[in-house]
Amino acid sequence: MSRRNNLVLLIIIVIFGITLWVLFPIDSSRLGRDGMRLGLDLVGGVHLVYQADLSGNVSDPQASMDRTLLTIQKRIDAFGVTEPVIQQLGSDRIMVELPGFTDIEAAKSLVEQTGFLEFREIERNTAGKLAYLSDYLSENVTGYVDGTKAGNRLFVDMSSGANKYGELVAIMTLTDKGLVFTSSNGTVIDRASLKNYSSTSSWIPARGDDGTALTGAFLSDAQPNVNSTTSQPEIDIKWNDIGAIIFDQIAARLHNPAGTGGAYSLEYALGIVLDNNLLSAPQMTSASYGGKGTISGSFTVSEAQDLANLLKSGSLPMPLIKPPIYEESVSATLGTDSLSSSLRAGLIGIALVMLFMIAYYQSLGVVAVAALLVYGALSLTIFKLIPITLTLPGIAGFIISVGMAVDANVLIFERMKEEMKLGRTLEAGVLEGFRRAWPSIRDSNVSTFITCIILYWFGNTFGAFMVKGFALTLFLGVAVSMFSAIVVTRTFLTALIRTNFAKRLLIGSVK
Amino acid sequence: MIDFVGKRYWYFLLSAIIIIPGIIFLIVFGLKPGSDFKGGTDMTVHFTPNIEQNQLRQSLTSLGYGDAVIQTTGQGDFILRLPETTTADKQKLTDGLTAATGSNITVRDFASISATVASETARYAIIAVIVAALGILLYITWAFRKMPNPLRWGICAVIALMHDILLVAGIFSILGYFAGVEIDALFITGMLTVAGYSVHDTIVVFDRIRENLTKGISKNFEQVVNYSISQTLARSFNTSLTVLFVLLALFLLGGSTIHYFTLVLLIGVTTGTYSSVCNASQLLVVWENKEWGRFIGIKKSTTVKA
Repeated sequence: MSRRNNLVLLIIIVIFGITLWVLFPIDSSRLGRDGMRLGLDLVGGVHLVYQADLSGNVSDPQASMDRTLLTIQKRIDAFGVTEPVIQQLGSDRIMVELPGFTDIEAAKSLVEQTGFLEFREIERNTAGKLAYLSDYLSENVTGYVDGTKAGNRLFVDMSSGANKYGELVAIMTLTDKGLVFTSSNGTVIDRASLKNYSSTSSWIPARGDDGTALTGAFLSDAQPNVNSTTSQPEIDIKWNDIGAIIFDQIAARLHNPAGTGGAYSLEYALGIVLDNNLLSAPQMTSASYGGKGTISGSFTVSEAQDLANLLKSGSLPMPLIKPPIYEESVSATLGTDSLSSSLRAGLIGIALVMLFMIAYYQSLGVVAVAALLVYGALSLTIFKLIPITLTLPGIAGFIISVGMAVDANVLIFERMKEEMKLGRTLEAGVLEGFRRAWPSIRDSNVSTFITCIILYWFGNTFGAFMVKGFALTLFLGVAVSMFSAIVVTRTFLTALIRTNFAKRLLIGSVK
Repeated sequence: MIDFVGKRYWYFLLSAIIIIPGIIFLIVFGLKPGSDFKGGTDMTVHFTPNIEQNQLRQSLTSLGYGDAVIQTTGQGDFILRLPETTTADKQKLTDGLTAATGSNITVRDFASISATVASETARYAIIAVIVAALGILLYITWAFRKMPNPLRWGICAVIALMHDILLVAGIFSILGYFAGVEIDALFITGMLTVAGYSVHDTIVVFDRIRENLTKGISKNFEQVVNYSISQTLARSFNTSLTVLFVLLALFLLGGSTIHYFTLVLLIGVTTGTYSSVCNASQLLVVWENKEWGRFIGIKKSTTVKA
């Protein structure tokens, strides 16, 4: 018995040593973890919840959600936010948490951009002439000029002035009710209001020989660059194997026979379209490009960088409804203030608990305080290593669990006192105290576990990080406290009983 | 030994006196839902140099936000509760406030919750409370399955739990009416934690009653219960004290985000201890003795007194 106790005591001391090594200094990197992970409310950051728009033709919603999450993850990684959380809520919602990133507008545009890149060419009528919006403005027209080419038609502003170049004028779709013009968010546009744009061209998806439309999905890489002759920022792109084949098939069909020296004509243009806006319409000057290309347009250097990131991460398989259904941004200063004031409050509270335990239970209290230190270090180590994201309510949950951890000790000590009043020796009292207090400790803590589990579920349904944080730390705190009360306090007491000095003190504090 | 069980109706009366005003407020005025439950925008703002609340109120009214609720925090910040605000509106509001007050504004926290999410949150909150109560009822019934009438123990613990929840809700209804205190998702979190704590406390007493019944220390149920309460009294007080120490520290010195959350817990832990010592086990006795007639009689006489 005594040899076993010594062994357990040794293990506890070793574990305590390890926990101290893991914890200090607080921001140290240990066992692959860098410091405590702090929630948005403590470091500042942005928290967004979006409703995905599944009303379009989404054949497999879950697969689309998975790809959407992955795409957003890639975009945020390219931005260099540390430890972002991107998570699906329910069946059709997406939660994004960006700790330390406080520019909510930048965060929203990063997530919301659909990023759908496609390539288009100008529609031609059966006689081979280029088609214009004027061909469609009459109510009598009920079908596409070239009925053999599928896909909607795009009309964009091609006037060179007022920075309007490339902006969407209208999307035209063939429906049961004939041709319908809409804006990018689906609002129907009246034909009469389009008269000013009658000379804009009709863009149709550029397709390979087998009918596959060329989109950003076939890109293997995109890098920002600066054009050596024009000094304009641009983006160098690389196609994957399939993309390279489709691109060359289109080039073979569209290219200007006069080569680089030929005059610009929309006949030979390939439109580069992002989210229904034309970025540029370069000439195809060669019949074969060997899997490489350049996207030019009027970008700044940082816009070119963002676009390259966007192209690499790919497009969202479905749009997200704007504005987000939940948005929050916390400034870093508020976070730091809350953290320091709550930590100070917690330390004062815990110190009061320790003083009370020593004042009331004397030497037994000292043992409880020692066990409490082991308990605290162990809980915090678990938080750091899992890692648990600490929020303000989460810290409160931990501090409350300290108060409750003492409960197990109180139960045991009170029981010991009773047993010794019945005339038992200190050794028997310790043994009986633990044995009889255990069912109460176990049964009573289960009710806290039940509420913690329900709280976690409640917080998880709408992505409330504060509620989840509280439920997690309270659950873990109470779980560790059961271990510490039973194993740690008991081992300490059993070891102390064997020294005469400590035994006299303990008997004194029990009477 | 203190007579906990014999004077049980005095303890019930004390509970009733404390709870009934809150229940009246709950029925007449209800709780004041915050943005979490009705949608809207909460904004924590800071002005350099500091401005008075009156000045902020006037500026908000002049900008068309006369309905905004303003709260002050310990750190000299203001929390503004507005109807759902778009990004453009937010920019206009902050620019407008800077112009109207002549003081630089910093937005420290901005949260906007749509009405859809809010109504779902409210629904889930109700589900969470019901599931928690049922879960606890089932658990206690299971834990006391070797006793005669195990369901009775569960029901008595849940009644004590409802007592604590109602008291906290009542106090927040009164606070909502007089001080404009709104309830949020953290309030529900606090309520469920109180429920867990209340039952935690009750179970310790119940456990001792079970142990004493099994030992057969007395044939008289009332005596067994009273003896058990006395035996666990020191533990009940000491544990509540330690939890109250940390809560009080958090309430007085902690961050403003969790101010009312810790208040929920402070009230809940106090009443949770009271109901475990003075109500839950006494209800077992009332049930055991089938005193329902007298119970109703007492209730009548108290209403006459009142």
